[in-house]
Amino acid sequence: MEFDFSRNYFELFGLEVEFQLDHAALTIGYQKQQSQFHPDRYIESNDQDKRVAMQATTFINEGYKVLSDEHARARYMLELNGVSFDVEQDTTHDMDFLMSQMSLREEIDEVDQHEDPLEVLDKLSKQSRAQKQDLIDTYLEYYHAKAWDEAKEIVLKLQFFSRLQQQISSKQEALEDELL
Amino acid sequence: MALLQISEPGMSTAPHEHRLAVGIDLGTTNSLVASVRSGVAETLVNESGESLVPSVVYYAENNSPVVGVKAQEMAVIDPLNTIASIKRVLGRSVSEIESGKNYLPFQFDKSSDSVPKICTAHGSRTAVEISADILSALKETAETALGGELKGAVITVPAYFDDSQRQATKDAATLAGLNVFRLLNEPTAAAIAYGLDQSAEGVIAVYDLGGGTFDISVLRLRQGVFEVLATGGDSALGGDDFDHAIARWIAEELSVALDEDPILMRQTLIAAKNAKESLTTNSHATINLDGHSELNLSRDKFNEIIEPFVKKTIMSCRRALRDADVDASDVSEVVMVGGSTRVLAVREQVEKYFSRSPHVDIDPDRVVAIGAAIQADILAGNKPGDEMLLLDVIPLSLGIETMGGLVEKIINRNTTIPVARAQEFTTYKDGQSAMRIHILQGERELVSDCRSLATFDLTDLPPLVAGAAKIKVTFQVDADGLLSVSAQEENTGVSASIEVKPSYGLTDAEIEAMLKSSIDHAQEDMQARSLREEQVEADRVVEALNSALEKDGDQLLEPQELESITIARDSLVKMRQSATDPEQITKAIKQVEKVSEEYVARRMNNSVRSMMQGHNVKEFQE
Repeated sequence: MEFDFSRNYFELFGLEVEFQLDHAALTIGYQKQQSQFHPDRYIESNDQDKRVAMQATTFINEGYKVLSDEHARARYMLELNGVSFDVEQDTTHDMDFLMSQMSLREEIDEVDQHEDPLEVLDKLSKQSRAQKQDLIDTYLEYYHAKAWDEAKEIVLKLQFFSRLQQQISSKQEALEDELL
Repeated sequence: MALLQISEPGMSTAPHEHRLAVGIDLGTTNSLVASVRSGVAETLVNESGESLVPSVVYYAENNSPVVGVKAQEMAVIDPLNTIASIKRVLGRSVSEIESGKNYLPFQFDKSSDSVPKICTAHGSRTAVEISADILSALKETAETALGGELKGAVITVPAYFDDSQRQATKDAATLAGLNVFRLLNEPTAAAIAYGLDQSAEGVIAVYDLGGGTFDISVLRLRQGVFEVLATGGDSALGGDDFDHAIARWIAEELSVALDEDPILMRQTLIAAKNAKESLTTNSHATINLDGHSELNLSRDKFNEIIEPFVKKTIMSCRRALRDADVDASDVSEVVMVGGSTRVLAVREQVEKYFSRSPHVDIDPDRVVAIGAAIQADILAGNKPGDEMLLLDVIPLSLGIETMGGLVEKIINRNTTIPVARAQEFTTYKDGQSAMRIHILQGERELVSDCRSLATFDLTDLPPLVAGAAKIKVTFQVDADGLLSVSAQEENTGVSASIEVKPSYGLTDAEIEAMLKSSIDHAQEDMQARSLREEQVEADRVVEALNSALEKDGDQLLEPQELESITIARDSLVKMRQSATDPEQITKAIKQVEKVSEEYVARRMNNSVRSMMQGHNVKEFQE
């Protein structure tokens, strides 16, 4: 068997390199690749083919995950244009943004003090989604203008929203556990 | 040889090319083996005519192991050589078993320090070996029924099984001489059993409530591709809890103490189980215990007794749906698996939550084995052109230990497998030549709250100044959900590697050695640890409350309010001394917090302490 690992994720799933993507087409492309290369299709093959099948599906799964998530997709599109990210070093220095993130987090932490904390969390979640969407719109302007540094700054900010959403989810879980 | 061969439509392979493949449901209580014959998946029967084989092994001296009903019968005569419920021990360490809440009827070999061994007439045997004996019996059943040697098998595991438990299951199968095509999650198997028959499209929820475990899985089925979106559940919640709750109700009604009388306890549990089963068809059940007056349990009362458990499962459903990013209204099919889904209240609650009636038409005891058989048939290549494909997920997050006993997640739960993640590490001392990495599985933040999978050392690192070495560690989870780890120093290309996964054909001793290495020797007794933590917490709460009461208790509280707070406090103090279950202390703390809520609020209003915020006693401590 052969699998071309040099393709980018958009090519892999037969998509144009565009931020706004057709999710149905992505899912179809993903399942098509999986149907062909999943280890289940190579149960009786030699070890070499089995290993390639595992690596190929690992690659396919990673691609699907990256393209399915807005933050990961925005970042990946910059990487395709030669922008590199350093997980340890890179962060935004926009103080106003950081302050607003801090206060959002505090609100999540203190949500227990409200009468209906789950409802407040839902509201915070909506609020953070709206802010995220505004950032994405700005990102696309920079991206199309090939203003990579500015676009990267936005991606670094988007990362905060992924974490915020995780924090909201785990708070929801904790609250639900308490209800039991 | 049949005189007339009738080919099923779509079965292009000639009968003599058909590869024999089976699906095996290796259960805690019962096991089954199933296979696709003439295009139909069915459970296979052994020479005694049973398909549902009790997962019990009897070890008689100088005889080969006996499995199934015959073994079960020996439980009364020779209980110590009759091993049941071995699945609860599979892939577990001695300390985990000791801290478990359920009583296990085994005699453990005390000389074995990490891999639990059970004393039998055949000597000390590991859970892997005992499970292998069950699997051997099923293999024999299948080979007799199908008339030939098996090409391979799909073996099901609870979705919630962690890496060690999956590995142990695979080792047992290898030991039994089975070629494992794939380990398959039980709920997924159930969805396959239904999905293919009814060619459904959409989002499927599989609700699996067995005797001791609860699993919920959310799958998307589209053009023959099953994609597991999320899975969740509770590995210590099941129909047994219903029985115990009814037994407690019986004890209360009859004013008897069960804890001091194991025989009465046993009888009551059996009566409780019978009542539960009778209530699926009758609206009332009568309970007769020797020497006690007859009791009447209505279905309404029963529903009330089990409500907290059912509610808990619905909560898990909510979580799984959120992980899957779908609403309850998006779910187009609900599949019920496990004997406990026969309980009507369970069906009603599930129906209410998903707003649709669940599928119950395949026998909940057989549905998993049937799904596994269908998957095995496809993997064996008996259905060329079949587009069915299964995309499964890792059920529990994988992480590594970082500074301060915290866990950093490397691969999040519900990520589609196979998956790989690389993480870069560096040295913190000049010339450092070795590094230790501790791998854990679980959702919690503290190392002590997660399952330790393995500790491995990277050695022979090139001598570089601190921070210069870049060690890339890659965590690979394969399609069976099993983890392997490899490591490489980026500058020099020196590689180190550990396989948590063994290769085939290992001797028993090697498998055991491998299991040993996958279990952390230094693991603390978790129960003891959380007990200590709760004791400390209790002390802090009591101390804070006392100092507050001293300051303004008389001013702010009516005498009877003060009394209810001191009663709660005193019972917490008592519980802190006597409880062996941390949960009891937690409850007592919660009680104190509850009765003093109003007091806390008043203190705030009075601005007694401007620093104080929030509504519970914990805030006193600041």
